Amino acid sequence: MSRPARQSTAGTIRLVAGREVRERVRARSFLLGTALLVLIVLAFGVVSNFIGGDDTPTIDIGVAPADVTAAAADLEEALGDTAALFGRDAVVTSIDTAAAAREQLERDDLDVVVDIERQEIVFADRVDDEVLAIAQQAWSSIEVRSALADFGLDPAQIDAALTPTALQPVSLDGDDGVDGLAILTGMITAILLYIVLQTFGTYVLTGVVEEKSTAVIEVLLVRANPHQLIAGKVIGIGVVAMIQFAAAVAAGLVSLGISGVEVPGEVWAAVPMSIVWFLGGYALYSTLFALAGSLVSRQEDANAAAMPINTALIGAYVLVFVLGSDPESTTSAVLSVIPPSAPLLMPMRMAAGAATAVEVIAALVLLVVAILLAWRLAGRIFEHVLLNRGSRIAWRDAAAYLRPGR
Amino acid sequence: MPPQRGPDGRVRLTCVLLVDGISKRYGDVVALDEVSFEVPAGKVVGFLGPNGAGKTTAMRAIMRLIALDAGEVVWNDVSVTPRLRQRFGYMPAERGMYQRMKVRDHLLYYGRLSGLSSARAASAADVWLERLGLTDRADATVQALSSGNQQRVQLALALLNDPELLVLDEPFSGLDPVATQVLAEVLREQVDQGTALLLSSHQLDLVAEVCSAVVIVDHGQVVLRGDVAELRAASEVRYVDVEFATTTTWPPGGPVDRMAIDGDGRRHRISVGTSIDAQRIVEDAHRVGEVISYSFAPPDLSEVFMRAVGRDTVEVSSALTPDGTDRTTGASHARSRR
Repeated sequence: MSRPARQSTAGTIRLVAGREVRERVRARSFLLGTALLVLIVLAFGVVSNFIGGDDTPTIDIGVAPADVTAAAADLEEALGDTAALFGRDAVVTSIDTAAAAREQLERDDLDVVVDIERQEIVFADRVDDEVLAIAQQAWSSIEVRSALADFGLDPAQIDAALTPTALQPVSLDGDDGVDGLAILTGMITAILLYIVLQTFGTYVLTGVVEEKSTAVIEVLLVRANPHQLIAGKVIGIGVVAMIQFAAAVAAGLVSLGISGVEVPGEVWAAVPMSIVWFLGGYALYSTLFALAGSLVSRQEDANAAAMPINTALIGAYVLVFVLGSDPESTTSAVLSVIPPSAPLLMPMRMAAGAATAVEVIAALVLLVVAILLAWRLAGRIFEHVLLNRGSRIAWRDAAAYLRPGR
Repeated sequence: MPPQRGPDGRVRLTCVLLVDGISKRYGDVVALDEVSFEVPAGKVVGFLGPNGAGKTTAMRAIMRLIALDAGEVVWNDVSVTPRLRQRFGYMPAERGMYQRMKVRDHLLYYGRLSGLSSARAASAADVWLERLGLTDRADATVQALSSGNQQRVQLALALLNDPELLVLDEPFSGLDPVATQVLAEVLREQVDQGTALLLSSHQLDLVAEVCSAVVIVDHGQVVLRGDVAELRAASEVRYVDVEFATTTTWPPGGPVDRMAIDGDGRRHRISVGTSIDAQRIVEDAHRVGEVISYSFAPPDLSEVFMRAVGRDTVEVSSALTPDGTDRTTGASHARSRR
């Protein structure tokens, strides 16, 4: 039997990450946590559908009398179309006599009745303005339609005349008026990144310290170097986070379907870049948490060591809201390029259309450099602390380990 | 001298681990003070010493798991590097396993990290599970195992990659007598195939049985090292043990120290110098009573050990090892699950 070949670096990282994924996904806490998250997201959809459902009830419209046949048929169609424009559903009923219609109105079977003969819109005691506007506009459109027919236009010409081009909203400061929504998309990325890091960044931190504080590390280090172990842990826990995240997103899409809320196209367009920043942000912060874990030998010291990382994360998170109103400013531009704040700020600035291509590329390059430096430092410090049992390294001394030869 | 390779391409029999003047201090505490010894392939070397003598530190140093202040660890004329140590097998004294991982998964994972293919890792895992009597516990989590069984898993981890050098810190602790015998057999096999083996233990009778050479350390320094038989023979003391059929008063006098008499006064042990004619002592015994057995022997390893670490006042017949633990520890685990 030949001697085993050495495992490659990529192979080792994959093995370490694979173990991390298998063991964590199998854990009851993960299964329960994911199930709970999915249920909460679904519940949001159900609840907002319930609340939203009350806001936009179907409008029951009666048209009377039915013997003014042509006009009634036209009006019924116009009412349906107009209601749709307002985002409402209308059930239009043709009723034989105006008197019968009024009776139904009194019984609350109808919301309004359009009396074609007397050219009145009748309601019981009150009606909302939107319903009145729908009825009025529908009535106007058939009047215009009949006037245009009188001028000798054929139905196709009438349809063309009655389907005006939509006006584009343009604001004086030059943007297209969807900023609020776009910035919100960017902010959502930052919020999600923050939430994911609060949980999974901590997993990386405690995972690194846990292994190091037991003899597991002695057995592992004989086979893999600290850089491979740290990369494997960060990637493995990242995959676990993505699995949970994907479950939440899937539930979110179902939830959106249930609630009937429509997501504007701008939001979807921002998704691919948001994912890039999300992954980059996760990689940077979780590697920094691994670095914090490398500095100490005991679980009790882990939180203190992670304090600067948590502070940076919370700081960047707060900045997203502080600078959200002013994505064009120089402060915003600078902070969206430098690594600790870039993964949270840049998606918001990009969504707002405030970031130039140069800024985006610079931010991405700096982010990758920062991730690699944090990884290099974490591995070296991890090894140093282990080889010199019990010693603990302060953050201010950590940078010295970046020098080659340490 | 280039290492010789066997027909399978493995470096064999000429391999030697050389620990060369290694020193390590932790603040004011000197853990290792210029420790030097060799572990040749094909030999079981026992690493002995009282608790805190520096055994574990030295073993970690061999595996490059601590930074040394001075000295070098050399395998086959090459300084041991993290890359080189991948060909070694190491078992720390503390449990170094993921508690929630299943036994077989653990072996597969470690086998793969050691560079085995999936298929080879699987077959190696199954071979060692079978060999160490763990097959029926393969799907149990590590934390669900008894301490003896955890110890076996730990051993399997060290053996998986068919190592050139095995460094085992307390491999017998927590094992029942049956498992102890199985392990002793496994280790002998490994060594017969040309593996170099260094093991630490407090069970001196076991070390005497398994190891052909020992290194004894105390206070971070090597106090004695060599072949077990030579070390015993080198002692200036010999024991004459005589068993009489009935209670007998003996010895009559002369240049001997009576060391011990058992309860009913039938078994006597006297210590003599190496120059004493043992035949005459036995003849003398025959004159005072009916001798049913006698022996003439150098001190056993326990005594060599205790003299080396300066504790020769301890009674030889005591069942206690220097650190006060029961030498028959294995027996108390006899009922642990296998």
